[in-house]
Amino acid sequence: MSKAKKIVSSKPFIMLVWVLVLVAIWEMGAANMEKTKRTPENVLPHVSQIVASVFSDKMVSNSQTATQIVWSSAEATLERAFIGFLFGTIFGFLMALLMKLSGLVEKTIFPYLMLIQMIPIIGMAPIILAITHDIGTSRIVIAAILTFYPVATNTLAGLNSVSKEKYELMYSYAASKWTIYRKVLIPSCIPYFFTGLKISAPMAITASILVDTLQGDGGLGCMLSQSLKHAMSIYVFWQIVFFSAFVGILSSVLMGVIEKRVSPHMRADRKRRKKV
Amino acid sequence: MIKRKKNIFIRFFRNPKVQPFLSVILPVALGVLVFALWQTQILHKILGTDTFTLPLPSQINRIIGDNLPKIMLNVKATVLVAVIGLAIGSFIGYLIAVLATVFPRWGAGGLSIVAAFNAIPIVALAPVMTNWTKDVSSDASVRSMVAKVLVVMIVSIATMSVNAYRGLNNLPEFSLDLMKSYAAKKRVVFFKLRLPNSVPYIFTALRVGVPSSVISAIVSEYFAEYITGVGRQIRENIVIAQYATAWTYIAVACLIGISMYCILMMFEGILLRNRK
Amino acid sequence: MKDMRRCKAKKMVAILMVATLTMASLAGCSSNKKEITSNQTQETTSTDTKAGETADTSTEVRAVMSNEEIVKLAASEGKVGNWGLGNEYEIQALLTKYGQPITYLSQAFDMDGFDDDSITLASAMTYNELGLVKNSYDGAYNYSDTVGTIDMNDEGVAMLEDNIFCTRAFAEQNPNTVKAFIYASMKGWKYACENPEEAAEIVYKYGSSVSAEHQLYMASEVKKLVETDINGNTVTELGKMDEAAMSQTLELAKKYIALDDKAAADKLSKLTLDDVRDTSYWEGATASTDGKFGTPEKASVTIQLKWLPQAQFMGYYVALEKGYYDEVGLEVNVVSGGGDISETTAVSNGTVDFGVTWLANLIAANSGGMDLLEISQVYQRSGLVLVYKLDTFMK
Repeated sequence: MSKAKKIVSSKPFIMLVWVLVLVAIWEMGAANMEKTKRTPENVLPHVSQIVASVFSDKMVSNSQTATQIVWSSAEATLERAFIGFLFGTIFGFLMALLMKLSGLVEKTIFPYLMLIQMIPIIGMAPIILAITHDIGTSRIVIAAILTFYPVATNTLAGLNSVSKEKYELMYSYAASKWTIYRKVLIPSCIPYFFTGLKISAPMAITASILVDTLQGDGGLGCMLSQSLKHAMSIYVFWQIVFFSAFVGILSSVLMGVIEKRVSPHMRADRKRRKKV
Repeated sequence: MIKRKKNIFIRFFRNPKVQPFLSVILPVALGVLVFALWQTQILHKILGTDTFTLPLPSQINRIIGDNLPKIMLNVKATVLVAVIGLAIGSFIGYLIAVLATVFPRWGAGGLSIVAAFNAIPIVALAPVMTNWTKDVSSDASVRSMVAKVLVVMIVSIATMSVNAYRGLNNLPEFSLDLMKSYAAKKRVVFFKLRLPNSVPYIFTALRVGVPSSVISAIVSEYFAEYITGVGRQIRENIVIAQYATAWTYIAVACLIGISMYCILMMFEGILLRNRK
Repeated sequence: MKDMRRCKAKKMVAILMVATLTMASLAGCSSNKKEITSNQTQETTSTDTKAGETADTSTEVRAVMSNEEIVKLAASEGKVGNWGLGNEYEIQALLTKYGQPITYLSQAFDMDGFDDDSITLASAMTYNELGLVKNSYDGAYNYSDTVGTIDMNDEGVAMLEDNIFCTRAFAEQNPNTVKAFIYASMKGWKYACENPEEAAEIVYKYGSSVSAEHQLYMASEVKKLVETDINGNTVTELGKMDEAAMSQTLELAKKYIALDDKAAADKLSKLTLDDVRDTSYWEGATASTDGKFGTPEKASVTIQLKWLPQAQFMGYYVALEKGYYDEVGLEVNVVSGGGDISETTAVSNGTVDFGVTWLANLIAANSGGMDLLEISQVYQRSGLVLVYKLDTFMK
């Protein structure tokens, strides 16, 4: 394979091309908007304008530039997202194990797990606030609730995907239930578990931004809604949209990296390939 | 060989005859228990809340009875958005997964980009879509509908493409080797192996997709120009502190979710049975 | 493996096609729409500018329609806008006044809908959106004098807006705190109205607003609402609860707050002013000349605003900055609003002690089962107007 070909077919290059395609489409739309709207930056600004706003040192509030606002509020939001994600993941995984352990539990609570997802946050928030008495804790709880479902369903699907032969093999070894879980079930559900994580990691960030808007005391969601309500430069909004998308991808990629590190399934694959 | 494997998978997924029976009785029993606790206000004591924040089922029931025609009108609007958005989004999502499978190098990169859409918060997406669709129609009800469907669509695309891609590529062990030993063409591998293998994954995606499509429809209604839908009613009533009415609509939203989920399960049952 | 590599060359060609196809499937529909519609909007904007130019030169010749004609025309086209969420009652009252159905379009919190003519008669607060429409600073639309307004006060459908409230229980248990809070807040409002420039600067420091200019504009407009009543008379006692204006608000509220819950609707129809306000705390506060009310029962209190930190609430920020709250022995924390947990909910469940809301929202909340009490009425007249482009409504 020639060097040029190698570069062309390398992953970063491919991603770059995709991003460029998206940017091109975006720019086409932006050029259109510029011609037709009085305030095109509200509808679809040029990418260059957004980038410029990131590096501009123009103060959009009393003491901060747009980028500074985004960074300072991102801190609070991402922290909440992380804690919520952590709790959601643990809860989701345990829930899946529990449901696998007992078919009765699965049948009883599975429909309700979905039901919880159905309750709009805006309705849930006052009740959770009444229980926790603290808006910060409520936000973390809600973020956790919103993220555990993909983990739970995917892990359960993984646990259920174990083939009968494997069970039979383990039974023939007279393996205990615990051993079956440790040696067969949990390893085989890991890829599914990570699928769940890859979905729920960006969701945790989304959820965290969403719950920021419950009360106006800082965080990306707050700034996003303030910017949307034109109480602040609209570029703060666009920066947050891109920032959250970027962090979302990053979190998903991070889960992929962790998967490769820890997953026994992948380790086994690598070993097998070596042998062949 | 392959066919036999599938059978085992399915047989494992849906066990003997008692199971469907149980899977109705158990959740209903839990539901009745929760409702009993709720109506007798024991639930309020456990959660530390009051009947104002969490109104009694009897009160919700009365409000539903009093406003049935109005509620049905809102339900229709929400269901339409959720279903159309989910259908289009899932279709495109699956198409993307197929393309990503056929062209692994370029597709996988594109897939990560699509998955990144999941990281954009709906609260940011919904107002943007409302702005972008301003010129679709001079009729506010039509352009609001388009905006809402687009939001649901984008959310569904991400879920479906990630899961379907897994289903198309996470093949049973050695099955690909076997196909190669038959000197099977790519097309044959695709239609005989990958496509059938992805069906359970489609349902996994839909299980996540159904609740999220309802939620997305509800959130996008908050920002839509034309005032209609269950979500808009929830928000209106929460903001003007009509918790009993808000909870009525929350209950209705849950009902929509459950019904859609039940329909999905029915489809799954029929489709997977036909595969036997 | 070699086969696969050879295939790749072919694939590379195919990839480009697929890439375009995928993108088309993703963005195709929307970009198509954009193309079609951009043509339309281009036409409309070009006519707009033409109309704008002619309007500039010949406004004296061509007369603008009367308010009644404007409302009727916009309503028949279905292009009257409001934010909803409890802000719509005055608009509905106006629509009813002119015999129109009470439906409206949901207006976003920007004025883009007004700008692109999807809403021709848009709601605006005199101190906020109207400024964004007229002025030319960052984030504004620069329509200057090419727009007209319909004032709710002049139309006789005004409802009272920003007040201070807490729960009845809180007021009864902490009378000293409540009086001290009103006293210091009114001192802040008085100073703010006397020195709007300084007040705007203070608010700008606390908030994260678009521009200092907008805060200054807002401060000068808010001053008018605080110092003038619905009949246009000057108010000297800031924060007083005018009986007639409050009755008018309650009457309109009873007519236009539509509640699906029968129990709540019944309660609403029976509400009296005594159920929603108590003048004694404000009277006690204004009677004092030195701000001494005895030890506050609760020294550390929070107040949640109805909206984002802006000059709409300059009185509280000024009182904070100037130390008026410290003087009466209170430590005050101002929480900005605009989130999904509304100020009525936050006050009712005890997350915060005081709140700023519109009287109509308080009335609705009490019908729904809360027990909130207005303790001062800061805005003496309605700040809501309907704004329209003059050239859209020429005879």
